[in-house]
Amino acid sequence: MHDRSERITEHTHPSIAAEHRLRYALAAPAIRASARWCDLGCGTGLSAAAALGGVYEGTALLVDREQELADRAATAVDAHQTVAIAADLSTAAGVERVRAALADGTGPLCVTCLETIPHLSDFAPLVALLAERAGEPEHTVVLSVPNDAFWALESPHHRTAWSEGAVAELRTLLPADHVVLHQVSVQGSAILRAGESADAQAPIALSPGVPSHVLLAFGAGAAQLGSGSPAAVVVQADVEAQRREARQRASDLLHLETTVQTLERRLAATPAAPPASDEDGSSDAPAASGHA
Amino acid sequence: MKVAFLLNDLQLSGGVGVVVQHARELALRHGHDVTLVLVREQEAAPWEFDGLAHLHVDGLDDARARHFDVAIATWWETVYSLFELDADRYVHFLQSFEDRFYDRGSAERSAAAMTLDLPVSYVTEAAWIAETLARVRPEAPCLYVRNGIDKDVFSSPASLEVRVGEPLRIVVEGNPDVWFKGVHEAIGVVRAMREPRHLTVVTGDASKIEPGAADRVVGPLTHRQMAELYGESDVVFKLSRVEGMFGPPLEGFHMGATCVVAPVTGYDEYIEHGWNGLVVDWDDVGGSARALDLLARDRRLLTFLRTNALETARSWPTWEQSSTFMAAALEKIRRDPPPPAYAGARQLAADSLLALDTQRLTMHERDEYRRLAKPALRLKRTGAWRVLGRLREHPRMQPVWTRLRPLTRRVRSKLTG
Repeated sequence: MHDRSERITEHTHPSIAAEHRLRYALAAPAIRASARWCDLGCGTGLSAAAALGGVYEGTALLVDREQELADRAATAVDAHQTVAIAADLSTAAGVERVRAALADGTGPLCVTCLETIPHLSDFAPLVALLAERAGEPEHTVVLSVPNDAFWALESPHHRTAWSEGAVAELRTLLPADHVVLHQVSVQGSAILRAGESADAQAPIALSPGVPSHVLLAFGAGAAQLGSGSPAAVVVQADVEAQRREARQRASDLLHLETTVQTLERRLAATPAAPPASDEDGSSDAPAASGHA
Repeated sequence: MKVAFLLNDLQLSGGVGVVVQHARELALRHGHDVTLVLVREQEAAPWEFDGLAHLHVDGLDDARARHFDVAIATWWETVYSLFELDADRYVHFLQSFEDRFYDRGSAERSAAAMTLDLPVSYVTEAAWIAETLARVRPEAPCLYVRNGIDKDVFSSPASLEVRVGEPLRIVVEGNPDVWFKGVHEAIGVVRAMREPRHLTVVTGDASKIEPGAADRVVGPLTHRQMAELYGESDVVFKLSRVEGMFGPPLEGFHMGATCVVAPVTGYDEYIEHGWNGLVVDWDDVGGSARALDLLARDRRLLTFLRTNALETARSWPTWEQSSTFMAAALEKIRRDPPPPAYAGARQLAADSLLALDTQRLTMHERDEYRRLAKPALRLKRTGAWRVLGRLREHPRMQPVWTRLRPLTRRVRSKLTG
């Protein structure tokens, strides 16, 4: 079954995986240009590894709430050195742990915090940590949040709601010279000879529209991000998997509806339970005086 | 962090409610030591806001003896007490441009406007306030923190109840005595509708609503009762002319009602014409009535707007999220250097001169009126006037005065212009 936990795994829908990978691809030049890279909410590390495409020559500090995931990311990311730490970024203590880890090293630093903030019930300490980085020379921060208005379904994993208004609020907390980038969804089609594989290239005409995600960058390398041609990635839709998922959802719904109806019928047919008797003296009803 | 919110009082009002919500959340969720500082002598017992127990409530005298990391004025009058407190950072939480609540030329209007010239950091709840402030005080730090919605009270339905074949259910709410709320205008528009409708007016004083003007007049209502009412309504109809954050349609959105509104300040924070509501012009009774008629007739459109209204509500922050932004904003204000002492000085000097000119004009007018009134005042001091006064009250003279009334009216009209 499709993994709905929002962790990127080998089974994640190709379009979702591509969308995650694209954000890391945008940050990749800034990561490669830095001696240190800190990925906050690294998850499995698969998207980052795919976007980096090769060996990262610096030290990667991979942070996730679960040590197991951070360790898994450390194996996925091919870096000169990797440090995996568990930290709950919704707490001041967790953020302090990251701050201490960052204080351990020196040299240019790139911090990525992609789609992590919505998962935090309290993001104030983390935002303070990120904003602090802007004061450091050769530090670059790239963060992203979704645009909930774009998505038809509410994510049960998100602790906070993100929209144009919330982004406007967040922007007032960041250094004034931050860069804003909109990630937009693209759709298309391709034709190729039956049974053959091929790489296709096509120009994509992009214009301002409702973003699916908003990326914010600040610090030393922020101005370079997205300054050239827009970054884009297109993946072939796995129509069979999509059809399977849609059918699975429809059949699950039908199954659950029938189960509910059956249970409701059974409940209706069950005779009402007699009222609890206090003849056995077990009743805890108050006495006539009102005292229990 | 030690935080002080300065308030005039703790009486029930939207603005005070917002401050108490932030204060409570900062104390409960972010572990801040929060004090509500009441800058005035209190004449009435405070409203029993939820969560007051988690906060310190002090008078200004007690608060003067303490040190705060951040002191926050929450209403223009409280800005005048802000610097009485010993604090590392001073903040003005701007919920509206409060000078607009007063008549032109009034002392309060000038005094309220001048509070925007002080070297403080700003936190505001509406983008339009932040944008306006950026124009008049471009150098002033301004952080944007939207008000949350209590989603336990304004608890959105899992699915929309689609209504067909019923009159359009409209809610108009607001204080009919406050000119900029446009309550009477809204009632007039509903009266001009042609399609079947059911109008509920929510007001604190039903006597101010003309009998028969609405199908139902209710209020004052608690938040829970308001939520219930919105839940059984199709449209929140507002023709306000001044708003800060414009909360009522948003509360309606949470309960599955769309809105028809005038383009008042704050409407574009979340209302999109043709998507989740309709925007009509002010003073356009016919056009506004037709918009409501359209919704009454076209239930597909009504359902579309209501569905999207609910969707908009979904992405609006809770108070928990809002207070996280407030905590982050206060943290940033504390972390950043304070605004320079001369920040706003140029604007302050200009506003002071303007206030001086206004005062000079008022004094000149007063002197002119005094000169004009001098003969009348002299006449009033004579014995003959006193006798005339006694005669005016005398019962036997009343028929005479009644006959003379047209003449005295004409004389008075000539004298007073």
